[in-house]
Amino acid sequence: MGNVRQISVFVENRTGKLSAITEVLRESGINIRALSIADTKDFGILRIVVNDTDKACDKLLEAACTVTVTEVVAVSIDDEMGSLSGIIGLLNNAGVNIEYLYSFLAVADGKASIILRVDDNEKAREVLTAGNIALLTEKDICEM
Amino acid sequence: MSKYWNQEIECMSREDMKKLQDERLVAQVKHVYENMPYYKKLMDEKGVTPDDIKSTDDLHKLPFLTKADLREAYPYGLLAKPLSECTEIHSTSGTTGKRVVAFYTKNDIDLWHDCCARAITAVGGTKDDVCQVCYGYGLFTGGPGLDGGSHKVGCLTLPMSSGNTDRQIQFMMDMGSTIICCTPSYAAYIGETLHEMGYTPDDIKLKAGIFGAEPWTEEMRHEIEKLLGIKAYDIYGLTETSGPGVSFECEEQTGMHINEDHFYPEIINPETGEVLPEGEVGELVFTSLTKEAFPLLRYRTRDLCVLTRKKCSCGRTLVKMAKPMGRSDDMLIIRGVNVFPSQIETVLIEQGYTPNYLIEVDRKNNTDTIDINVEMTKEQFSDKMSDIQEREKALAEAMRTMLGIGPKIHLVSPKTIARSEGKAVRVIDKRKLHG
Repeated sequence: MGNVRQISVFVENRTGKLSAITEVLRESGINIRALSIADTKDFGILRIVVNDTDKACDKLLEAACTVTVTEVVAVSIDDEMGSLSGIIGLLNNAGVNIEYLYSFLAVADGKASIILRVDDNEKAREVLTAGNIALLTEKDICEM
Repeated sequence: MSKYWNQEIECMSREDMKKLQDERLVAQVKHVYENMPYYKKLMDEKGVTPDDIKSTDDLHKLPFLTKADLREAYPYGLLAKPLSECTEIHSTSGTTGKRVVAFYTKNDIDLWHDCCARAITAVGGTKDDVCQVCYGYGLFTGGPGLDGGSHKVGCLTLPMSSGNTDRQIQFMMDMGSTIICCTPSYAAYIGETLHEMGYTPDDIKLKAGIFGAEPWTEEMRHEIEKLLGIKAYDIYGLTETSGPGVSFECEEQTGMHINEDHFYPEIINPETGEVLPEGEVGELVFTSLTKEAFPLLRYRTRDLCVLTRKKCSCGRTLVKMAKPMGRSDDMLIIRGVNVFPSQIETVLIEQGYTPNYLIEVDRKNNTDTIDINVEMTKEQFSDKMSDIQEREKALAEAMRTMLGIGPKIHLVSPKTIARSEGKAVRVIDKRKLHG
């Protein structure tokens, strides 16, 4: 199955908080493959997909970070106009809600990679596969 | 027009006042012993009978009452008259846990309003004045107390209650209000709004304000006086003893005269309970000398204070109390509402949080703010922003229900709020109210 685990880390809006987290990852030799930050006035949530999820989690917990792991869907789509709209349309028609999404660096030529946090992973994968959208696995992302 | 509401009492010689207090105390102790089983039991346990109390010099023999007693005796345990004799209740803004319900007979209401009439007269109020009461009305004692006093004096009374500031200012202008009664922070807010609307104090007729129900500083007094072009006077009271009017300021503005013919004050050492001599700082304790329905004897207010019998230029001989300079417990007064950290802890536990929190109280633009930092558990964290924001909102709402005021909640990581070996620091009060 094309399951991808995303790590979310709670980041209080204080000087040095984000750097403390990235330092833990650097020291542990973790490579961040995809990343997004959501923020409010008081706090942010750092969401990452990394090359070694278990190790990253362990190290972050050791460093007293607040962490949660969520399964997300990752897809590779053509890097051209309308392709994002296409997958959103597919999910919408199937009644799958998107909580948030973000794109990350696409290494393959002419491709764009998107992480989707949805309320029904299984259905999303089913719909996307049926729509001929390439799903990415955690391994795919690590090897990009 | 007299500058006193009741010159005989307010300017009574010390000897005559003591005689009056002694007589009233002896009768009151008898009334309480016979009609309030809760206090009778406390007296019996201490081995004191009404016969032991021959004057106020014997007062120290009586047991104290505290907020814990009020809670335990809720709702009728401290009632000393049949309900059929009572005509009104008032209640503190607190919660189920800490709520105080006080009962009043017709006579209690009359005496309370009389105390407020003294306060209004002391700031120059007469029947020719227009008195705008913008304390809250309802269970809170602020509005009803000053309203009653204003009626007694014969002022044209505007029962505005609090809020709706534009309307307050409109009535102030159209009705030519000369006296305003509210919390000091609301007075400052009205003053600021007045200026924002492009008016100056010359556009209004206010001459005096009676402000209480929350701590305020001399700096705030000067600011309000400037903003509204008035003299600002302090007033003190608590629901347990009746409400505002237990003590009030005169033209000298150097402390509040206690209506000691009704409320006998003592200053005690909060640790030992020992009565301290005049001039020493300690906890203020009141004994109600005249209340019928809810006559509390030796009620510990937890306000730290000092009394003085120095001659006052206003001519009143009533003992004066300084502005309370702190609390002997951890109660916070925020926007006029009493808040205990223990209430906040209760909500956190009910809502599934750990009792690790830090309360930050501040005053911004003359309005109290309360922020509570709360540690969330690992399980409560979510990758979805909306989950966390909803958590904060739900917790703020639960706090509002419990406290009566809405704090701003900030969820923080587990184990990030400093633990200390001894007594945890739970509150940071940045208001500097007791400079």
